[in-house]
Amino acid sequence: MISLTSPVETRAHHWPAGAKLAALCVATMVLFAAQSLIFHLAVFAALLALYAAPGAVFLRAGLRRLRVLWPFLAIIFLWHLITQTPEQGAVIALRLLTAVGLANLVTMTTRLSDMIAVIRWLATPLRRLGLSTAALELSIALVIRFTPALAAKGGQLAQSWRARSRRRPGWRIILPFALLALDDADHVAEALKARGGI
Amino acid sequence: MSLDAPPLLELSDVALAVDGRALLQGIDLSACERRIGIVGRNGSGKTTLARVMAGLVAPDRGRVRIGGVDVTRDRKAAIRQVGILFQNPDHQIIFPTVEEEIAFGLGQLGQDKQTAAAGVVAMLERFNKSHWAKIAVHTLSQGQKQLVCLMAVLAMQPGVIILDEPLSGLDIPTRMQLARYLEGVEATLVHVSHDPSTLSSYDRVIWLSDGRIVQDGAAGEVLRAFTAEMTSLGGADDISDLAG
Amino acid sequence: MERNVALIALFAALIAALGLIPKVTLGFGVPITAQSLGVMLCGTVLGARRGTLAVLLFLLLVAIGLPLLAGGRGGLGVFTSPTVGFLVGFPLAAFVTGLITERWRAAPLTLVAGIAAAVGGIVVLYGVGIAGLALVLGKSLPEAALLVAVFIPGDMLKAAVAGMLTSALARARPAAVLSRS
Repeated sequence: MISLTSPVETRAHHWPAGAKLAALCVATMVLFAAQSLIFHLAVFAALLALYAAPGAVFLRAGLRRLRVLWPFLAIIFLWHLITQTPEQGAVIALRLLTAVGLANLVTMTTRLSDMIAVIRWLATPLRRLGLSTAALELSIALVIRFTPALAAKGGQLAQSWRARSRRRPGWRIILPFALLALDDADHVAEALKARGGI
Repeated sequence: MSLDAPPLLELSDVALAVDGRALLQGIDLSACERRIGIVGRNGSGKTTLARVMAGLVAPDRGRVRIGGVDVTRDRKAAIRQVGILFQNPDHQIIFPTVEEEIAFGLGQLGQDKQTAAAGVVAMLERFNKSHWAKIAVHTLSQGQKQLVCLMAVLAMQPGVIILDEPLSGLDIPTRMQLARYLEGVEATLVHVSHDPSTLSSYDRVIWLSDGRIVQDGAAGEVLRAFTAEMTSLGGADDISDLAG
Repeated sequence: MERNVALIALFAALIAALGLIPKVTLGFGVPITAQSLGVMLCGTVLGARRGTLAVLLFLLLVAIGLPLLAGGRGGLGVFTSPTVGFLVGFPLAAFVTGLITERWRAAPLTLVAGIAAAVGGIVVLYGVGIAGLALVLGKSLPEAALLVAVFIPGDMLKAAVAGMLTSALARARPAAVLSRS
């Protein structure tokens, strides 16, 4: 399965994932506490510089991911135009862009395996308490394995629907789809059991 | 092997019913041949028998022992004795990448991460598939997935491998290639199939019908009788008979 | 144990796969995705505890960078975006939906699961979602509520679908509907 990690290798790819996540937490809290327009402008400019540092391809990929925010930015723009509070609106809009941009930056520069290692580390106290985290790690692998498989089967269902119908497959296709997931769960449980269970 | 050693495969009076319908009844079997075939029509109980032998389904009555291990009760010992290859590799593969899939079983045997990783490398090398290690399973073809399943089972080195029609649904060249891989397997194979031709070179063949053993003996003899019966049924119209 | 882990993981994958179904546009131009239907089904089919675990597993995978949300979104950015409340609300929605389905046995399953999905997937989910929206966009709660009200009819439709699907699943695979076993 394709992860959202950027194929453009940056220096940040090699930084420890835990440190990046901790820094993101702190930065997000600071962003939500700060109210000054100058501060938010400066932080946003710094963010753009970070995106630009690894090159144009990385910058464009990063900006593309911020595009999903446009409906919210449009609402903020209109709202504060009407209420005549442009400075407050600019702070909210910049904070939104920076917070999402920073978080995306961590995702783009951290490999899936490093993220899973952080989760394993975070789960250490649970293991100390004697709880098994093997089931958690196994479930993560299972979801990664089964999402494309389910999606492919859904596609096949839609195809066999279209082969016999002129109309688009609607909600009715979700029942067989959910049945597939339930039956797959039985097969997986069996395959797990065949190799020693959990 | 000494003469009084217990047979590798031993089923005594195995019976199983699901929702009041008898799927297996009075199955007695004791075998130590290296290649054992099980034939029967769809719904004859072949797949159920395969699952019972692998210890995945507990019979209502009777016992299944493989290499002296009660495979239903002692799961920990069972996975060292018996492996199973399902008909559909998508039902078998649990992990996103080839190496994770093979490593899982080794971890289940108690191997640490390094040993398991070395086992994966060795298994892939044995089949000249070292370049498959990091490949995402869902990008492989059906035959390639089936080979991954076979490697994952072989890596655990069970004495007996049960094959539940793993060759059906594959094209002829793929089927021939996989059959060749299977021929080379050291372990005892119990191959469930409805296609007599795949079992012609086997040491012993068991014919199953309505959950009972109809005939048990040398491959040539049993397969001839089975084929004759199937051909005569092919001329009839029992497709309309409902089970139950 | 194997079966529970498999069901939880498969339903997490189901939420993701439902997100891939193309958006359906309602009569008055509001797009709806099937993803929150997956959350409702986690509650009505798997029950409160396992349904919540399935949704949490799904969110964990989104957080570590898999593009599993509708429209191929994912990563940590979605947890600082205005819709964060809806993501935080997902597990709560599944829990409440599951709890109602488990406890209320007096009425037909279609009705129970439909109402459970509406209470969990609309009342609870929108409650948390609107709070998050208000927080990130710096608006009051009623103002934020105004922004998402158009999506409620679509979700009512989904709750009805969840109710019908759950009773159909209970007929087809009674053993798998853990909320009623």
